[in-house]
Amino acid sequence: MASIQIANARKSYGAVDVLHGIDLDISDGEFIVLVGPSGCGKSTLLRMIAGLEDITSGDISIAGTVVNELQPKDRDIAMVFQSYALYPHMSVAENMSYALTLRKTAREKIADAISGVAEILGLTALLERRPKALSGGQRQRVAMGRAIVRKPQAFLFDEPLSNLDARLREQMRTEIRKLHRRLGATSVYVTHDQIEAMTMADRIVAMHDGIIQQVGSPVEIYDRPANIFVASFIGSPAMNFLEGSYEQVGENSAGIRLTDGALVPVLPARDAQHNQPVTLGARPEHITIVSDGENGLPAKVELIEPMGLSTLVHVTLAGKPIKIFTMDRPAYAVDSFIHIAFDMAKVHVFDSASEKRLPPASEPHGDHAGQ
Amino acid sequence: MTTVTQTGKLPVERRGGFSRKISGIIEPYLYVSPALVLIIAVMLMPLILGLSYAFRDIRILNPFSGGFVGTAHFEALISDQAFLGALANTAWWTFGSLLFQFSLGLILALLLNRQFLGRRLVQALVFLPWAVPTFLSGLNWAWMFNPVVGPLPHWMTSLGLMAEPFNILSDPDLAMWGPIIANIWFGIPFFAITMLAALQSIPKELYEAASIDGATTRQQFISITLPFLAPTIAITLMLRTIWIANFADLIVVMTNGGPADSTQIVASYIFTQAFRRLDFGYASAIAAVLLVLLLAYALSVIALRRAMTHADS
Repeated sequence: MASIQIANARKSYGAVDVLHGIDLDISDGEFIVLVGPSGCGKSTLLRMIAGLEDITSGDISIAGTVVNELQPKDRDIAMVFQSYALYPHMSVAENMSYALTLRKTAREKIADAISGVAEILGLTALLERRPKALSGGQRQRVAMGRAIVRKPQAFLFDEPLSNLDARLREQMRTEIRKLHRRLGATSVYVTHDQIEAMTMADRIVAMHDGIIQQVGSPVEIYDRPANIFVASFIGSPAMNFLEGSYEQVGENSAGIRLTDGALVPVLPARDAQHNQPVTLGARPEHITIVSDGENGLPAKVELIEPMGLSTLVHVTLAGKPIKIFTMDRPAYAVDSFIHIAFDMAKVHVFDSASEKRLPPASEPHGDHAGQ
Repeated sequence: MTTVTQTGKLPVERRGGFSRKISGIIEPYLYVSPALVLIIAVMLMPLILGLSYAFRDIRILNPFSGGFVGTAHFEALISDQAFLGALANTAWWTFGSLLFQFSLGLILALLLNRQFLGRRLVQALVFLPWAVPTFLSGLNWAWMFNPVVGPLPHWMTSLGLMAEPFNILSDPDLAMWGPIIANIWFGIPFFAITMLAALQSIPKELYEAASIDGATTRQQFISITLPFLAPTIAITLMLRTIWIANFADLIVVMTNGGPADSTQIVASYIFTQAFRRLDFGYASAIAAVLLVLLLAYALSVIALRRAMTHADS
């Protein structure tokens, strides 16, 4: 097991810069999830750690050793690929033992390691089969087994669950987590699926356009997103955004004046100026539907989406589509008007220009972003 | 409603049952008949006709020929030294060409599978030999070996491979190498194309996984590239063997089987018998033997392949 340090790592393909100076410290035994939309550079970063891509500048160290110039095989890491990359002409056992055979490990030792790992992953009955004769989930397990058998310093996962169906993905998610708890190995996991990131990570690294947007625990990222990108990317259904301007109403109260003139009360934000253009961010579960008498804003119902456990109500407010999450089973008619209210303590204020979050003055300094 | 139709229809069905059954059987054959007729006309008939020639005395210049001679041609073949020599030459020609075509083609495919500047241009150039008509290639190569107009003998003399410039095509011991070299040049693109296509179908992640697992380039070649190429190698080697064994163009153009039949292969011997001596009967008998030999070869290769894939699964 080992820690991984990435210091000012850059990657360019010719004139195109893919990664713009990545700094990241991964501690020993940590499960890190790199998340972001496709093209954000997360896979490139993982492949640079693996040694499959050159580092244009900067340093990557594993267990304190700079590995920039080391071949993948000398970095003592294991990687699980999206396509699994199982050797099709080898049996499951041969696939798992390939690395050990190449290292000339004693045959009995290999057999022990294989049977142990096969036991953990439930592959014992499949050891003689070829990958062709396995289901997607079984192949996934073999790919994991191949990584585990080697007892590497770190595990690298490149979107390993994206080829599985939803149910299996959910199951493998928990299994990978359990495995991690059992092996305690440093893991870097790349995904574009924010649910995987939320459920699996010790810490999430949210990336966009080759830049780390925020590093933090899943709850931190969800509750205190550093900017509009992170706020919109993490969470499903996604956060609602409304343009407006910040208004300091009194010493201890503030609000956001929406484009249609309505005022949404918010906690006074630190570093926000009167009349500053801001964006209001509210997660669907932080908007409530109120009865006519209360101080709600009128919104037009567009669509009711029942999801079993809950219901998603789509409305229009100030000309913008808004989603509201409710555990009730509302029966509003489409095109009718309802009144909605924002949970003042939970909504976010973002500076419209920099897209950065303006934390409430009551929030302690400096714990919302960075490492 | 149902009962009415049934009672109304049943007697009709009973009456027309037999002819309907017959037409039901014939119908699909009618649909495929155009293709069948075409195949029979252009493939099966010439084959049968050719085989029948093998048992008849057919000489174009002899108006009284045409009679049935039984197995006389085949009996003559057994003691025909020229034929036996051609048989040995065919093996030399086929496997000499094949070995170099394959190994050089594979090496070329491996080189072309890498990224480098001007790769597309090189790829196009590599496949150029196929764009040249065979007999032109043959003529060109014949001239290249000719010390009067061609550079090769002079180069080989300079390299110390020859004491003095001479035409290897006129040396009975060396003449076969002339067409073989031309054939290697001509056949490399085929292997390069097919191997390159097979190489490009290998997922890149396999090599990445192997490099992380600690496999060297050589080990990756053995445990990933070769298993992936094996089916393509098997099928192209088999096809190519048959094609080369039948491929007399270069030999006919470059040496015409000479000097002293030293480059005569079975296919060119058939050509000589049929179109130089105009003995179609004897030529057909040789062709029949070649057909049987190649069929036997193909069947044994297929059986071998089946045995291998069977052991595989």
